[in-house]
Amino acid sequence: MKKIVLKEKEKNHILCLIAIVVGVIFLFPLYWIVISSLKTDVEIFALTPTFIPHNITFSAYTEQLIGPNNILNSFSNSLLIATISMVLSILLAVPAAYGLARFPMRTTKIFIMLFLVTQMLPVTLILTPMFLIYKNLGILDTYLAPALSDATISIPFVILILRTYFLSLPKELEDSAKIDGCNTFMAFIKIMLPISYPGLIMAAAFSFLFAWGDLAYALTFISTPEARPMTAGIYNFMGKYGTQWNKIMAYGTLLALPVVAIFVVLQKYIVAGLTNGAVKE
Amino acid sequence: MQNYIDVFNNPTMMTSIWNTLLFTIGSISIQFVIGFALALFFNLDFTLAKPMRGLLVVAWMIPMTVIALLSKFMLSPSGGIINELLLNLHLIDQPIGWLINNSTALWGVILANSWVGIPFNMILLTTGLSNISKSLYEAAEVDGASSLQKFVYITLPQLRPAILSVVILGFIYTFKVFDLVFVATGGGPVNATELMSTFAYKLSFAQFLFSKGATVANVLFIILFIVSLGYLKLIRKDEVIH
Repeated sequence: MKKIVLKEKEKNHILCLIAIVVGVIFLFPLYWIVISSLKTDVEIFALTPTFIPHNITFSAYTEQLIGPNNILNSFSNSLLIATISMVLSILLAVPAAYGLARFPMRTTKIFIMLFLVTQMLPVTLILTPMFLIYKNLGILDTYLAPALSDATISIPFVILILRTYFLSLPKELEDSAKIDGCNTFMAFIKIMLPISYPGLIMAAAFSFLFAWGDLAYALTFISTPEARPMTAGIYNFMGKYGTQWNKIMAYGTLLALPVVAIFVVLQKYIVAGLTNGAVKE
Repeated sequence: MQNYIDVFNNPTMMTSIWNTLLFTIGSISIQFVIGFALALFFNLDFTLAKPMRGLLVVAWMIPMTVIALLSKFMLSPSGGIINELLLNLHLIDQPIGWLINNSTALWGVILANSWVGIPFNMILLTTGLSNISKSLYEAAEVDGASSLQKFVYITLPQLRPAILSVVILGFIYTFKVFDLVFVATGGGPVNATELMSTFAYKLSFAQFLFSKGATVANVLFIILFIVSLGYLKLIRKDEVIH
Protein backbone atom coordinates (compact mmCIF):
# COMPACT_ATOMS: atom_id res chain seq x y z
CA MET A 1 0.00 0.00 0.00
CA LYS A 2 2.74 2.40 1.00
CA LYS A 3 4.69 1.65 -2.13
CA ILE A 4 1.83 2.66 -4.41
CA VAL A 5 1.42 5.98 -2.60
CA LEU A 6 5.09 6.72 -3.07
CA LYS A 7 4.85 5.86 -6.73
CA GLU A 8 1.92 8.19 -7.20
CA LYS A 9 3.90 10.92 -5.52
CA GLU A 10 6.88 10.35 -7.80
CA LYS A 11 4.68 10.37 -10.83
CA ASN A 12 3.19 13.62 -9.66
CA HIS A 13 6.65 15.16 -9.24
CA ILE A 14 7.78 14.06 -12.69
CA LEU A 15 4.62 15.39 -14.33
CA CYS A 16 4.94 18.69 -12.48
CA LEU A 17 8.52 18.98 -13.64
CA ILE A 18 7.54 18.37 -17.27
CA ALA A 19 4.75 20.91 -16.89
CA ILE A 20 7.19 23.53 -15.66
CA VAL A 21 9.56 22.84 -18.55
CA VAL A 22 6.68 23.12 -21.03
CA GLY A 23 5.54 26.34 -19.39
CA VAL A 24 9.00 27.86 -19.42
CA ILE A 25 9.53 27.08 -23.10
CA PHE A 26 6.06 28.25 -24.09
CA LEU A 27 6.15 31.49 -22.14
CA PHE A 28 9.76 32.24 -23.03
CA PRO A 29 8.77 34.95 -25.56
CA LEU A 30 7.07 36.89 -22.77
CA TYR A 31 10.15 36.63 -20.60
CA TRP A 32 12.26 37.69 -23.56
CA ILE A 33 10.26 40.84 -24.27
CA VAL A 34 10.50 42.00 -20.66
CA ILE A 35 14.15 41.11 -20.21
CA SER A 36 15.16 42.72 -23.51
CA SER A 37 13.46 45.94 -22.50
CA LEU A 38 15.80 46.06 -19.51
CA LYS A 39 18.99 45.51 -21.51
CA THR A 40 21.15 48.10 -23.17
CA ASP A 41 21.09 48.00 -26.95
CA VAL A 42 24.75 47.01 -26.89
CA GLU A 43 23.89 43.93 -24.90
CA ILE A 44 20.99 43.04 -27.18
CA PHE A 45 23.32 42.94 -30.16
CA ALA A 46 26.10 41.14 -28.30
CA LEU A 47 27.43 38.08 -30.09
CA THR A 48 26.20 35.65 -27.47
CA PRO A 49 22.72 36.48 -26.23
CA THR A 50 22.42 36.84 -22.48
CA PHE A 51 19.49 35.15 -20.84
CA ILE A 52 19.92 37.22 -17.71
CA PRO A 53 21.07 40.77 -18.45
CA HIS A 54 24.46 41.82 -17.07
CA ASN A 55 23.47 45.44 -16.74
CA ILE A 56 19.86 46.06 -15.95
CA THR A 57 18.83 49.49 -17.13
CA PHE A 58 15.48 51.17 -16.94
CA SER A 59 16.46 53.87 -19.41
CA ALA A 60 14.15 52.45 -22.09
CA TYR A 61 11.27 53.07 -19.69
CA THR A 62 12.32 56.33 -18.13
CA GLU A 63 12.84 57.92 -21.54
CA GLN A 64 9.33 56.96 -22.54
CA LEU A 65 7.52 57.70 -19.35
CA ILE A 66 9.13 61.06 -18.68
CA GLY A 67 9.97 63.70 -21.22
CA PRO A 68 8.22 65.45 -24.07
CA ASN A 69 7.33 62.47 -26.30
CA ASN A 70 6.22 60.17 -23.52
CA ILE A 71 3.80 57.38 -24.19
CA LEU A 72 1.61 58.03 -21.17
CA ASN A 73 -0.65 59.95 -23.48
CA SER A 74 -1.23 57.05 -25.87
CA PHE A 75 -1.47 54.70 -22.92
CA SER A 76 -4.35 56.71 -21.48
CA ASN A 77 -5.93 56.89 -24.96
CA SER A 78 -5.90 53.09 -25.05
CA LEU A 79 -7.35 52.95 -21.57
CA LEU A 80 -10.15 55.35 -22.44
CA ILE A 81 -11.11 53.63 -25.70
CA ALA A 82 -11.11 50.20 -24.08
CA THR A 83 -13.18 51.41 -21.14
CA ILE A 84 -15.82 53.11 -23.29
CA SER A 85 -16.08 50.01 -25.42
CA MET A 86 -16.37 47.79 -22.37
CA VAL A 87 -19.12 49.85 -20.76
CA LEU A 88 -21.07 49.96 -24.03
CA SER A 89 -20.75 46.22 -24.55
CA ILE A 90 -21.90 45.37 -21.05
CA LEU A 91 -24.83 47.75 -21.11
CA LEU A 92 -26.08 46.41 -24.43
CA ALA A 93 -25.02 42.78 -24.39
CA VAL A 94 -26.08 41.74 -20.90
CA PRO A 95 -29.82 42.47 -21.29
CA ALA A 96 -29.74 41.04 -24.81
CA ALA A 97 -28.10 37.83 -23.64
CA TYR A 98 -30.56 37.53 -20.79
CA GLY A 99 -33.51 38.09 -23.06
CA LEU A 100 -32.32 35.47 -25.50
CA ALA A 101 -31.76 32.99 -22.70
CA ARG A 102 -35.02 33.53 -20.82
CA PHE A 103 -37.62 34.33 -23.44
CA PRO A 104 -37.40 31.82 -26.26
CA MET A 105 -38.87 33.22 -29.45
CA ARG A 106 -39.23 31.82 -32.88
CA THR A 107 -36.52 34.22 -33.97
CA THR A 108 -34.01 33.28 -31.26
CA LYS A 109 -32.18 30.87 -33.54
CA ILE A 110 -31.97 33.48 -36.27
CA PHE A 111 -30.53 36.02 -33.82
CA ILE A 112 -27.90 33.57 -32.68
CA MET A 113 -27.03 32.78 -36.27
CA LEU A 114 -26.68 36.49 -37.03
CA PHE A 115 -24.39 37.00 -34.06
CA LEU A 116 -22.29 34.07 -35.20
CA VAL A 117 -22.06 35.60 -38.66
CA THR A 118 -20.84 38.92 -37.26
CA GLN A 119 -18.06 37.00 -35.58
CA MET A 120 -16.89 35.98 -39.00
CA LEU A 121 -16.86 39.40 -40.60
CA PRO A 122 -13.33 40.41 -41.51
CA VAL A 123 -12.38 43.79 -40.03
CA THR A 124 -11.39 45.11 -43.42
CA LEU A 125 -14.93 44.53 -44.67
CA ILE A 126 -16.57 46.79 -42.08
CA LEU A 127 -13.90 49.46 -42.06
CA THR A 128 -15.12 51.35 -45.10
CA PRO A 129 -18.84 51.54 -44.27
CA MET A 130 -18.00 52.47 -40.68
CA PHE A 131 -15.61 55.12 -41.89
CA LEU A 132 -18.39 56.69 -43.93
CA ILE A 133 -20.93 56.51 -41.11
CA TYR A 134 -18.53 58.10 -38.64
CA LYS A 135 -17.66 60.78 -41.13
CA ASN A 136 -21.32 61.69 -41.43
CA LEU A 137 -21.78 61.60 -37.68
CA GLY A 138 -18.71 63.77 -37.30
CA ILE A 139 -17.07 61.48 -34.77
CA LEU A 140 -14.02 60.53 -36.82
CA ASP A 141 -10.86 61.30 -34.90
CA THR A 142 -12.61 60.96 -31.54
CA TYR A 143 -12.32 58.11 -29.04
CA LEU A 144 -15.90 57.23 -29.76
CA ALA A 145 -15.18 55.95 -33.28
CA PRO A 146 -12.83 53.07 -32.39
CA ALA A 147 -14.70 52.42 -29.13
CA LEU A 148 -18.01 51.94 -30.98
CA SER A 149 -16.37 49.69 -33.55
CA ASP A 150 -14.65 47.61 -30.90
CA ALA A 151 -18.01 47.23 -29.18
CA THR A 152 -19.50 45.85 -32.40
CA ILE A 153 -17.00 43.01 -32.15
CA SER A 154 -17.38 42.29 -28.48
CA ILE A 155 -21.17 42.65 -28.21
CA PRO A 156 -22.04 39.55 -30.26
CA PHE A 157 -19.27 37.60 -28.59
CA VAL A 158 -20.42 38.59 -25.13
CA ILE A 159 -24.06 37.86 -25.98
CA LEU A 160 -23.15 34.38 -27.14
CA ILE A 161 -21.12 33.46 -24.08
CA LEU A 162 -23.45 35.12 -21.60
CA ARG A 163 -26.53 33.49 -23.09
CA THR A 164 -25.14 30.03 -22.39
CA TYR A 165 -24.14 31.31 -18.98
CA PHE A 166 -27.63 32.58 -18.14
CA LEU A 167 -29.11 29.33 -19.43
CA SER A 168 -27.08 27.42 -16.88
CA LEU A 169 -28.51 29.42 -13.95
CA PRO A 170 -31.51 27.95 -12.12
CA LYS A 171 -34.72 29.52 -13.33
CA GLU A 172 -36.38 28.75 -9.99
CA LEU A 173 -34.57 31.67 -8.39
CA GLU A 174 -36.23 34.09 -10.74
CA ASP A 175 -39.61 32.44 -10.24
CA SER A 176 -39.39 32.67 -6.47
CA ALA A 177 -38.42 36.34 -6.73
CA LYS A 178 -41.56 36.89 -8.76
CA ILE A 179 -43.67 35.18 -6.15
CA ASP A 180 -42.18 37.60 -3.63
CA GLY A 181 -43.48 40.44 -5.73
CA CYS A 182 -40.67 41.34 -8.12
CA ASN A 183 -41.48 41.94 -11.74
CA THR A 184 -39.27 40.38 -14.41
CA PHE A 185 -37.06 43.42 -14.65
CA MET A 186 -36.54 43.68 -10.89
CA ALA A 187 -35.87 39.96 -10.65
CA PHE A 188 -33.23 40.36 -13.33
CA ILE A 189 -31.57 43.32 -11.58
CA LYS A 190 -31.85 42.11 -8.00
CA ILE A 191 -31.44 38.36 -8.29
CA MET A 192 -30.02 37.26 -11.61
CA LEU A 193 -27.35 39.93 -12.07
CA PRO A 194 -25.74 39.51 -8.65
CA ILE A 195 -25.52 35.74 -8.94
CA SER A 196 -24.12 35.89 -12.45
CA TYR A 197 -21.15 38.05 -11.49
CA PRO A 198 -18.56 35.51 -12.75
CA GLY A 199 -20.15 35.75 -16.18
CA LEU A 200 -20.26 39.54 -16.02
CA ILE A 201 -16.63 39.81 -14.98
CA MET A 202 -15.59 37.57 -17.82
CA ALA A 203 -17.69 39.56 -20.30
CA ALA A 204 -16.19 42.83 -19.09
CA ALA A 205 -12.67 41.42 -19.26
CA PHE A 206 -13.17 40.16 -22.80
CA SER A 207 -14.63 43.36 -24.15
CA PHE A 208 -11.90 45.43 -22.51
CA LEU A 209 -9.18 43.20 -23.91
CA PHE A 210 -10.65 43.14 -27.42
CA ALA A 211 -10.64 46.92 -27.53
CA TRP A 212 -7.24 47.18 -25.90
CA GLY A 213 -5.62 45.00 -28.55
CA ASP A 214 -7.39 46.46 -31.57
CA LEU A 215 -5.20 47.96 -34.25
CA ALA A 216 -7.24 48.25 -37.42
CA TYR A 217 -10.05 50.49 -36.14
CA ALA A 218 -7.80 52.83 -34.20
CA LEU A 219 -5.44 53.11 -37.14
CA THR A 220 -8.21 53.91 -39.60
CA PHE A 221 -10.51 56.14 -37.59
CA ILE A 222 -7.99 58.23 -35.67
CA SER A 223 -5.52 60.25 -37.67
CA THR A 224 -4.35 62.74 -35.04
CA PRO A 225 -1.19 61.20 -33.56
CA GLU A 226 -1.99 62.60 -30.09
CA ALA A 227 -5.34 60.83 -29.99
CA ARG A 228 -4.04 57.43 -31.07
CA PRO A 229 -3.96 54.48 -28.68
CA MET A 230 -0.77 52.50 -28.19
CA THR A 231 -1.47 49.87 -30.83
CA ALA A 232 -1.92 52.45 -33.57
CA GLY A 233 0.92 54.59 -32.29
CA ILE A 234 3.30 51.77 -32.98
CA TYR A 235 4.28 53.13 -36.38
CA ASN A 236 5.22 56.55 -35.06
CA PHE A 237 7.17 54.80 -32.46
CA MET A 238 9.02 52.38 -34.70
CA GLY A 239 9.72 55.14 -37.16
CA LYS A 240 11.29 57.21 -34.44
CA TYR A 241 13.36 54.51 -32.83
CA GLY A 242 14.17 52.27 -35.80
CA THR A 243 15.95 49.26 -34.42
CA GLN A 244 16.43 50.39 -30.86
CA TRP A 245 15.01 47.13 -29.72
CA ASN A 246 15.14 47.81 -26.01
CA LYS A 247 12.82 50.79 -26.48
CA ILE A 248 10.51 48.86 -28.77
CA MET A 249 10.40 45.97 -26.34
CA ALA A 250 9.64 48.38 -23.49
CA TYR A 251 6.75 49.70 -25.58
CA GLY A 252 5.55 46.14 -26.13
CA THR A 253 5.86 45.37 -22.43
CA LEU A 254 3.75 48.38 -21.50
CA LEU A 255 1.19 47.39 -24.13
CA ALA A 256 1.00 43.84 -22.80
CA LEU A 257 1.17 44.76 -19.13
CA PRO A 258 -2.53 45.57 -18.48
CA VAL A 259 -3.50 42.40 -20.34
CA VAL A 260 -1.28 40.25 -18.18
CA ALA A 261 -2.45 42.06 -15.04
CA ILE A 262 -6.12 41.57 -15.90
CA PHE A 263 -5.44 37.99 -16.80
CA VAL A 264 -3.62 37.17 -13.60
CA VAL A 265 -6.39 38.65 -11.47
CA LEU A 266 -9.33 37.27 -13.43
CA GLN A 267 -7.78 34.08 -14.76
CA LYS A 268 -10.43 31.66 -13.57
CA TYR A 269 -13.28 33.70 -15.01
CA ILE A 270 -11.57 34.17 -18.35
CA VAL A 271 -10.69 30.51 -18.82
CA ALA A 272 -14.20 29.46 -17.81
CA GLY A 273 -15.72 31.96 -20.23
CA LEU A 274 -13.56 30.84 -23.08
CA THR A 275 -14.53 27.21 -22.68
CA ASN A 276 -18.16 28.01 -22.06
CA GLY A 277 -18.71 30.22 -25.04
CA ALA A 278 -16.88 28.52 -27.79
CA VAL A 279 -17.74 24.86 -27.35
CA LYS A 280 -21.43 24.99 -26.75
CA GLU A 281 -22.36 27.24 -29.63
CA MET B 1 -19.28 42.96 -61.16
CA GLN B 2 -16.49 44.84 -62.90
CA ASN B 3 -14.77 45.13 -59.52
CA TYR B 4 -14.67 41.36 -59.14
CA ILE B 5 -13.26 40.92 -62.63
CA ASP B 6 -10.63 43.59 -61.99
CA VAL B 7 -9.68 42.19 -58.63
CA PHE B 8 -9.30 38.65 -59.90
CA ASN B 9 -7.21 39.89 -62.81
CA ASN B 10 -4.84 41.45 -60.31
CA PRO B 11 -1.98 38.96 -59.80
CA THR B 12 -1.65 40.03 -56.15
CA MET B 13 -5.18 38.72 -55.54
CA MET B 14 -4.21 35.17 -56.43
CA THR B 15 -1.04 35.45 -54.36
CA SER B 16 -3.03 36.73 -51.40
CA ILE B 17 -5.63 33.95 -51.64
CA TRP B 18 -2.88 31.37 -51.85
CA ASN B 19 -0.99 32.95 -48.94
CA THR B 20 -4.14 33.16 -46.83
CA LEU B 21 -4.78 29.46 -47.43
CA LEU B 22 -1.19 28.48 -46.61
CA PHE B 23 -1.18 30.75 -43.57
CA THR B 24 -4.42 29.27 -42.29
CA ILE B 25 -3.63 25.63 -42.96
CA GLY B 26 -0.08 26.01 -41.60
CA SER B 27 -1.20 27.79 -38.44
CA ILE B 28 -4.09 25.43 -37.78
CA SER B 29 -2.03 22.28 -38.22
CA ILE B 30 0.73 23.48 -35.92
CA GLN B 31 -1.52 24.88 -33.23
CA PHE B 32 -3.88 21.92 -33.33
CA VAL B 33 -1.17 19.27 -32.98
CA ILE B 34 0.67 21.08 -30.20
CA GLY B 35 -2.55 22.25 -28.55
CA PHE B 36 -3.92 18.69 -28.60
CA ALA B 37 -0.71 17.28 -27.15
CA LEU B 38 -0.79 19.86 -24.37
CA ALA B 39 -4.47 19.21 -23.71
CA LEU B 40 -3.79 15.48 -23.32
CA PHE B 41 -0.82 16.18 -21.08
CA PHE B 42 -2.59 18.66 -18.82
CA ASN B 43 -5.56 16.33 -18.61
CA LEU B 44 -3.40 14.00 -16.53
CA ASP B 45 -3.95 14.23 -12.85
CA PHE B 46 -1.17 16.18 -11.13
CA THR B 47 -0.82 19.15 -8.81
CA LEU B 48 0.32 21.75 -11.30
CA ALA B 49 -2.00 20.67 -14.14
CA LYS B 50 -4.65 23.33 -13.69
CA PRO B 51 -2.57 26.36 -12.68
CA MET B 52 0.03 25.71 -15.39
CA ARG B 53 -2.62 25.21 -18.06
CA GLY B 54 -4.31 28.44 -17.03
CA LEU B 55 -1.02 30.27 -17.19
CA LEU B 56 -0.41 29.25 -20.80
CA VAL B 57 -3.66 30.93 -21.85
CA VAL B 58 -2.07 34.31 -21.23
CA ALA B 59 -0.41 34.01 -24.66
CA TRP B 60 -3.83 34.02 -26.27
CA MET B 61 -4.72 37.34 -24.66
CA ILE B 62 -1.60 39.31 -25.62
CA PRO B 63 -2.40 41.96 -28.26
CA MET B 64 -1.40 40.85 -31.76
CA THR B 65 0.61 44.04 -32.19
CA VAL B 66 2.89 42.96 -29.36
CA ILE B 67 3.22 39.50 -30.89
CA ALA B 68 4.15 41.12 -34.19
CA LEU B 69 6.85 43.27 -32.57
CA LEU B 70 8.12 40.33 -30.62
CA SER B 71 8.35 38.06 -33.64
CA LYS B 72 10.16 40.78 -35.56
CA PHE B 73 12.66 40.95 -32.74
CA MET B 74 13.05 37.25 -32.07
CA LEU B 75 13.23 36.27 -35.73
CA SER B 76 15.61 39.07 -36.67
CA PRO B 77 18.74 37.92 -38.53
CA SER B 78 21.00 40.14 -36.45
CA GLY B 79 20.83 39.22 -32.80
CA GLY B 80 17.44 37.47 -33.01
CA ILE B 81 17.25 34.78 -30.37
CA ILE B 82 15.70 32.13 -32.65
CA ASN B 83 18.61 32.35 -35.07
CA GLU B 84 21.09 32.28 -32.20
CA LEU B 85 19.53 29.15 -30.77
CA LEU B 86 19.42 27.40 -34.12
CA LEU B 87 23.06 28.37 -34.78
CA ASN B 88 24.13 27.07 -31.39
CA LEU B 89 22.31 23.81 -31.98
CA HIS B 90 24.09 23.61 -35.37
CA LEU B 91 20.78 23.29 -37.17
CA ILE B 92 21.67 26.17 -39.48
CA ASP B 93 25.03 27.55 -40.68
CA GLN B 94 24.11 31.21 -40.92
CA PRO B 95 21.30 33.38 -39.60
CA ILE B 96 18.06 33.30 -41.56
CA GLY B 97 16.26 36.55 -42.27
CA TRP B 98 12.95 34.91 -41.35
CA LEU B 99 10.65 37.84 -41.96
CA ILE B 100 12.69 39.67 -44.59
CA ASN B 101 13.37 36.67 -46.76
CA ASN B 102 10.94 35.87 -49.53
CA SER B 103 10.90 32.14 -48.95
CA THR B 104 10.68 32.13 -45.15
CA ALA B 105 8.54 35.17 -44.32
CA LEU B 106 5.26 33.30 -44.47
CA TRP B 107 6.71 30.65 -42.16
CA GLY B 108 7.75 33.35 -39.76
CA VAL B 109 4.24 34.74 -39.42
CA ILE B 110 2.72 31.25 -39.32
CA LEU B 111 5.00 30.45 -36.39
CA ALA B 112 4.01 33.61 -34.53
CA ASN B 113 0.31 33.05 -35.16
CA SER B 114 0.49 29.41 -34.09
CA TRP B 115 2.01 30.42 -30.79
CA VAL B 116 -1.03 32.56 -30.06
CA GLY B 117 -3.44 29.84 -31.18
CA ILE B 118 -2.01 26.95 -29.17
CA PRO B 119 -3.63 27.89 -25.83
CA PHE B 120 -6.99 28.42 -27.51
CA ASN B 121 -6.85 24.92 -29.01
CA MET B 122 -5.60 23.48 -25.77
CA ILE B 123 -8.35 24.95 -23.60
CA LEU B 124 -11.20 23.93 -25.90
CA LEU B 125 -9.85 20.40 -26.33
CA THR B 126 -9.36 20.11 -22.58
CA THR B 127 -13.03 20.86 -22.07
CA GLY B 128 -13.87 18.21 -24.62
CA LEU B 129 -11.63 15.71 -22.85
CA SER B 130 -13.15 16.41 -19.46
CA ASN B 131 -16.61 15.71 -20.88
CA ILE B 132 -15.70 12.13 -21.79
CA SER B 133 -17.20 9.79 -19.25
CA LYS B 134 -14.61 7.97 -17.13
CA SER B 135 -16.68 4.80 -17.21
CA LEU B 136 -15.87 4.32 -20.89
CA TYR B 137 -12.17 4.05 -20.04
CA GLU B 138 -12.89 1.78 -17.10
CA ALA B 139 -14.90 -0.54 -19.28
CA ALA B 140 -12.12 -0.58 -21.87
CA GLU B 141 -9.61 -1.38 -19.17
CA VAL B 142 -11.66 -4.36 -18.06
CA ASP B 143 -11.61 -5.54 -21.65
CA GLY B 144 -7.83 -5.22 -21.62
CA ALA B 145 -7.44 -2.35 -24.09
CA SER B 146 -4.02 -0.72 -24.51
CA SER B 147 -3.55 3.04 -24.10
CA LEU B 148 -3.29 3.45 -27.84
CA GLN B 149 -6.51 1.52 -28.37
CA LYS B 150 -8.25 3.61 -25.74
CA PHE B 151 -7.05 6.77 -27.51
CA VAL B 152 -8.14 5.64 -30.97
CA TYR B 153 -11.45 4.00 -30.04
CA ILE B 154 -12.63 6.20 -27.18
CA THR B 155 -10.85 9.55 -27.00
CA LEU B 156 -10.86 10.45 -30.69
CA PRO B 157 -14.48 9.56 -31.51
CA GLN B 158 -15.78 11.12 -28.27
CA LEU B 159 -13.78 14.24 -28.98
CA ARG B 160 -15.07 14.60 -32.54
CA PRO B 161 -17.39 17.58 -31.88
CA ALA B 162 -14.71 19.43 -29.90
CA ILE B 163 -12.11 18.78 -32.57
CA LEU B 164 -14.49 20.05 -35.25
CA SER B 165 -15.22 23.20 -33.26
CA VAL B 166 -11.58 23.92 -32.65
CA VAL B 167 -10.55 23.45 -36.25
CA ILE B 168 -13.39 25.50 -37.73
CA LEU B 169 -13.17 28.30 -35.16
CA GLY B 170 -9.42 28.31 -35.69
CA PHE B 171 -10.05 28.56 -39.41
CA ILE B 172 -12.41 31.52 -38.97
CA TYR B 173 -10.04 33.41 -36.69
CA THR B 174 -6.91 32.68 -38.70
CA PHE B 175 -8.40 33.28 -42.11
CA LYS B 176 -9.08 36.92 -41.31
CA VAL B 177 -5.97 37.70 -39.27
CA PHE B 178 -4.91 41.24 -40.04
CA ASP B 179 -2.90 43.02 -37.35
CA LEU B 180 -0.20 40.42 -36.85
CA VAL B 181 0.87 40.33 -40.48
CA PHE B 182 0.26 44.03 -41.05
CA VAL B 183 2.70 45.01 -38.30
CA ALA B 184 5.20 42.16 -38.62
CA THR B 185 5.80 42.28 -42.36
CA GLY B 186 3.25 44.64 -43.88
CA GLY B 187 2.53 41.93 -46.44
CA GLY B 188 6.07 41.96 -47.76
CA PRO B 189 8.70 41.17 -48.81
CA VAL B 190 7.32 41.44 -52.37
CA ASN B 191 3.85 40.18 -51.38
CA ALA B 192 5.33 37.05 -49.78
CA THR B 193 3.03 37.43 -46.78
CA GLU B 194 0.25 39.43 -48.39
CA LEU B 195 -3.02 38.02 -47.05
CA MET B 196 -6.48 38.84 -48.32
CA SER B 197 -7.07 40.96 -45.23
CA THR B 198 -3.92 43.05 -45.62
CA PHE B 199 -4.47 43.31 -49.37
CA ALA B 200 -8.01 44.56 -48.84
CA TYR B 201 -6.81 47.10 -46.29
CA LYS B 202 -4.10 48.41 -48.58
CA LEU B 203 -6.45 48.75 -51.54
CA SER B 204 -8.93 50.71 -49.42
CA PHE B 205 -6.78 52.83 -47.19
CA ALA B 206 -3.43 53.16 -48.95
CA GLN B 207 -4.57 53.36 -52.57
CA PHE B 208 -8.08 54.61 -51.74
CA LEU B 209 -9.66 52.09 -54.10
CA PHE B 210 -12.51 51.51 -51.64
CA SER B 211 -14.68 49.43 -53.94
CA LYS B 212 -11.81 47.12 -54.84
CA GLY B 213 -10.83 46.78 -51.20
CA ALA B 214 -14.40 45.91 -50.32
CA THR B 215 -14.48 43.36 -53.12
CA VAL B 216 -11.47 41.54 -51.71
CA ALA B 217 -12.97 41.65 -48.20
CA ASN B 218 -16.22 40.27 -49.61
CA VAL B 219 -14.45 37.31 -51.18
CA LEU B 220 -12.78 36.71 -47.83
CA PHE B 221 -16.13 36.80 -46.05
CA ILE B 222 -17.88 34.55 -48.58
CA ILE B 223 -15.24 31.87 -48.10
CA LEU B 224 -15.59 32.13 -44.32
CA PHE B 225 -19.35 31.98 -44.56
CA ILE B 226 -19.38 28.84 -46.68
CA VAL B 227 -17.00 27.11 -44.29
CA SER B 228 -19.12 28.07 -41.30
CA LEU B 229 -22.32 26.84 -42.93
CA GLY B 230 -20.65 23.49 -43.44
CA TYR B 231 -19.61 23.56 -39.81
CA LEU B 232 -23.10 24.31 -38.52
CA LYS B 233 -24.48 21.47 -40.60
CA LEU B 234 -21.88 19.03 -39.27
CA ILE B 235 -22.33 20.14 -35.71
CA ARG B 236 -26.09 19.81 -35.91
CA LYS B 237 -25.58 16.27 -37.06
CA ASP B 238 -23.52 15.69 -33.95
CA GLU B 239 -26.32 17.23 -31.92
CA VAL B 240 -24.14 19.29 -29.66
CA ILE B 241 -26.24 22.42 -30.09
CA HIS B 242 -28.87 22.35 -27.43
